[in-house]
Amino acid sequence: MNPLATSDFHTVEGIARVVCLEGSVAWLEPEQTGGCGSCAASSGCGAKGIGTVASRMEIRRFPLANVDGLRVGERIVVGVCDRALIHAALTAYALPLATALGAGGLAEWAMGSDLATMAATAAGLSAGILAARIGAGRLAARGDLAPHFLRRARPGETCGTGEQ
Amino acid sequence: MKDFVLMMIGAALVNNVILARFLGLCSFMGVTTRIDTAAGMGLATTFVITVSSMADWAVQHYLLDAYGLGFLRTVTFILVIASAVQFTEMTIKKVSPTLFRMLGIYLPLITTNCAVLGVALLLVEGHMSFIGSTMFAFASSLGYSLVMVIFAGLRERLALARVPRLFAGPPIGFIVASLLAMAFMGFSGISAG
Repeated sequence: MNPLATSDFHTVEGIARVVCLEGSVAWLEPEQTGGCGSCAASSGCGAKGIGTVASRMEIRRFPLANVDGLRVGERIVVGVCDRALIHAALTAYALPLATALGAGGLAEWAMGSDLATMAATAAGLSAGILAARIGAGRLAARGDLAPHFLRRARPGETCGTGEQ
Repeated sequence: MKDFVLMMIGAALVNNVILARFLGLCSFMGVTTRIDTAAGMGLATTFVITVSSMADWAVQHYLLDAYGLGFLRTVTFILVIASAVQFTEMTIKKVSPTLFRMLGIYLPLITTNCAVLGVALLLVEGHMSFIGSTMFAFASSLGYSLVMVIFAGLRERLALARVPRLFAGPPIGFIVASLLAMAFMGFSGISAG
């Protein structure tokens, strides 16, 4: 049984389609292609076209343990804990920004030159990206970022209609 | 230091990118259906605005001003922003493919977010130092993220409220956004005081 389906965790849901099966692993392609949730809805905005290129979708394929007998072509609802999304965003974006701004501020205070500040900011950004890599590795090792199977999608269900 | 703090408060609250300058309204209405997605989009945009403003400052001072190419500013900045988004996408993919799968959906939307270009053009008008322009861009984008999260919270509550059928959906969203903009006008008292 899926632990997320019965616990008090709030999940961010998305619809994915099973594209291939490899032993006990199902490979899924997310249907939601824009941050706005227009996905498969018939009247999406211009953002819909940006993320629908085949190569782009292929990059975002992810594996899922096939314990529920999924078949190729099936549409399912997957979810991740909403806190995991916030942790991931903080790790990927806030950490490098904090180190870049910190290093730039220190350089400005110590030297007061634009060139030195730019160099220090770039160095801080690089250090932050390295730190983010370590942090992301820890999150992934704990399994916080892995999506979980929630249920099979209803016919005609899109990510915009899922909560209704 | 005091000047920096005042400038940052002004950029984030008094002259808020969304509610005072009316930039980035597509993502404001499109991505604010849930707090977590709004926060993810806000953080991604904060990163891109800050990084692209650093690059824009260098391009403006060492290329456009130095060679008298000011008329190419808008085109150049669009190129810089697209490159910054591509850089961010590549970095996230390299740092963690799992993170990229979770957060990658927000990045293409940022390329077409006019708030990013708007902040870059405001920086040119400001004639600031490198650290000044970076802090201004960071504060502006923090203000953007703050409004996104507040509005997402309001919309989550609205989803549970009984709204007359004619106002349901985007209409009540726009009414709430205008009320929020009026509330933010109160911050202009800081500058007047």
